Amino acid sequence: MTVTEFVDGPLWYFALAVFFLGIAWRLVVILANGWRGDLSRPRRSGLTGSVRALFSRFAPAPGIGRRIGLHLTGGYLFHLGLFALLLFAAPHVAFYAERLSLPAWQPMPHWAFVLVSELAFIGLMLLWLNRVLNPVTRLISSTGDHLSSILTFLVMLSGCLALEQAHEPLRVLHFFLVEVLMIYFPFSSLMHAFTFVLSREALGYRYGRRGVPV
Amino acid sequence: MAVDMNVFRGFLQQVRQLPAMAQPTECPDTERVAAVKAVFKERIDAGVASHLEACVHCGICAEACHFFVQTGDPQFTPIHKLEPLRRFYRREKGPFAWLYRLIERDIEETDLEQWQRLVYDSCTECGRCSFACPQGVDIAHMVVIMRRALANAGLIPAGLRAVEQEQGSQGTVFGVGPKQLMAAVEALRVRGYEVPVDKDKADVLVLTATTDILLFHDAMESTVRIMNHLGVDWTIHTCAFEGANFGMLSGYEKVQKAASERIIREAIRCGAKVVIIPECGHAYPAMRWEGANEHGEPLPFEVMAISEFIGRQVMDGKLSLKPIGKGRRVTYHDPCKVGRHGGVFDEPRAVLDALGVERVELPDNREMNYCCGGGAGLFVIDTAERYRALAFDLKRKQVEATGAQSLITACDSCRLSFLAGTDRTQWDRPIESLVELVGQALPD
Repeated sequence: MTVTEFVDGPLWYFALAVFFLGIAWRLVVILANGWRGDLSRPRRSGLTGSVRALFSRFAPAPGIGRRIGLHLTGGYLFHLGLFALLLFAAPHVAFYAERLSLPAWQPMPHWAFVLVSELAFIGLMLLWLNRVLNPVTRLISSTGDHLSSILTFLVMLSGCLALEQAHEPLRVLHFFLVEVLMIYFPFSSLMHAFTFVLSREALGYRYGRRGVPV
Repeated sequence: MAVDMNVFRGFLQQVRQLPAMAQPTECPDTERVAAVKAVFKERIDAGVASHLEACVHCGICAEACHFFVQTGDPQFTPIHKLEPLRRFYRREKGPFAWLYRLIERDIEETDLEQWQRLVYDSCTECGRCSFACPQGVDIAHMVVIMRRALANAGLIPAGLRAVEQEQGSQGTVFGVGPKQLMAAVEALRVRGYEVPVDKDKADVLVLTATTDILLFHDAMESTVRIMNHLGVDWTIHTCAFEGANFGMLSGYEKVQKAASERIIREAIRCGAKVVIIPECGHAYPAMRWEGANEHGEPLPFEVMAISEFIGRQVMDGKLSLKPIGKGRRVTYHDPCKVGRHGGVFDEPRAVLDALGVERVELPDNREMNYCCGGGAGLFVIDTAERYRALAFDLKRKQVEATGAQSLITACDSCRLSFLAGTDRTQWDRPIESLVELVGQALPD
């Protein structure tokens, strides 16, 4: 078996399994802790608070935005850019159709790919520089946080290099790094892509029933 | 009537003596880590686990914390204050505990001593960080768990411990018990007020606070006048009058439960439909949100902060006030425990509008208001004095930016903190109580 065959075959399936089983396991263990009930008389609906918090937290809290310009710029650029690339980069659309049997949709044009990639890179670099240079994030960041940033950077970099699909080794390298990231994902803080929903729900429910706009 | 600052300074001196009055704790040094872990284990539910799992260590919470904003010291980063809880979760309850037990060190006793400072001295549980976190991590809720854990390990700071021990053993706070309450009641009766005490049955049970008896006499007088003016069937009870709950502030659940139960028992016995909490910030969540949980079943009565009660009367058209504030520009400080933790925002503003004042908002207000710096018992923690001063300086700048002539609040703890700051800096803006203003504005 060649390296390409290994990366395209067994490693891909292994990565997929670890990714989905790991995520499921982590979510199950979180939820298995159960919920402490609240016997206090609610002022308003906790459910409404949950729904509200799920969406309201995409925008900075009033008065906080002016203090977190770097986080905001880096955060929005990176996350929006990443999702645009994941969903609309032409090779990804083709991959989803071929390997996951999804119907193909209209990919973004090449110029848009270049622009979005650059913005996403800028966002990621801003966030990582902040993590490394800001005394607060330096204190609270773990090795895992840095590893997540580095792996994501490498995946994006190799993806850009492989864009033209002219060099097979570059495509294989990109695919290999994606698989490493997928295996690492359930063990890391990258899981916030899922856990943020639970966390916002819990906060929104708690304060929603107290009648506080979350 | 302004607070007698000499009496206030005497009170401050008393507060500074508190650490010397604290009794040693029962938890041996060797059992502290186990005591902390026992609380962590009991308190981590799916909500807490979600919060711990969702944090990406972005540091935005620091930008919401008054102590960080004022010092720039990363130690005050709110999520950092939860490090022992996070470590316990990862090593002992998390989905990959087997892995983290290999690569992450366990909690040690020295950690607890370090985090005692961070969780008590430099956190008022104000919750502003919870509202700033983009992931929705409820840091304030977890600080409460941290305090409970440290309290279980006998690590409550001495000043706070002294008051908690007094309330736990004698049922009094700062030496105020039924005798001192009755002296205050008699003083009001001498002035011609009818003050119902220990009635068998009453629709409304009114609580008071030690600070109202010792310092803020007008708050108690105004409450009596308001209740009588509204013609409410009310009473104060000598067995259950103290709203303050130093069990909750310190994190010592046994005392919290006992203090709450005393009130709940009496409210049920006299058939109260409503229990009114005085202008004592933490007393509100202690009864309104935690009371039923401590009691073990829903409370058969409503719990309202006095500012909330008056506000509702005004909003429902049942209470008219004289517009005593014409031409006065004021700003309102939302007490964290009543506002951000309780949802009481509109009622006090309705009262201020009824008073006819020109109400201007602080740059950060309502659920994003900055804390006074003295909440969650910091006012009685001597080692936190420096931090309280820093928080006051921030508030002072914000008040001055509004051009308000006075700062109005509805919490004794906020008032104490602001008065201490005013006294220290010789600030010229009066700190006023909402209930006292209403007392002055009742129709003849």
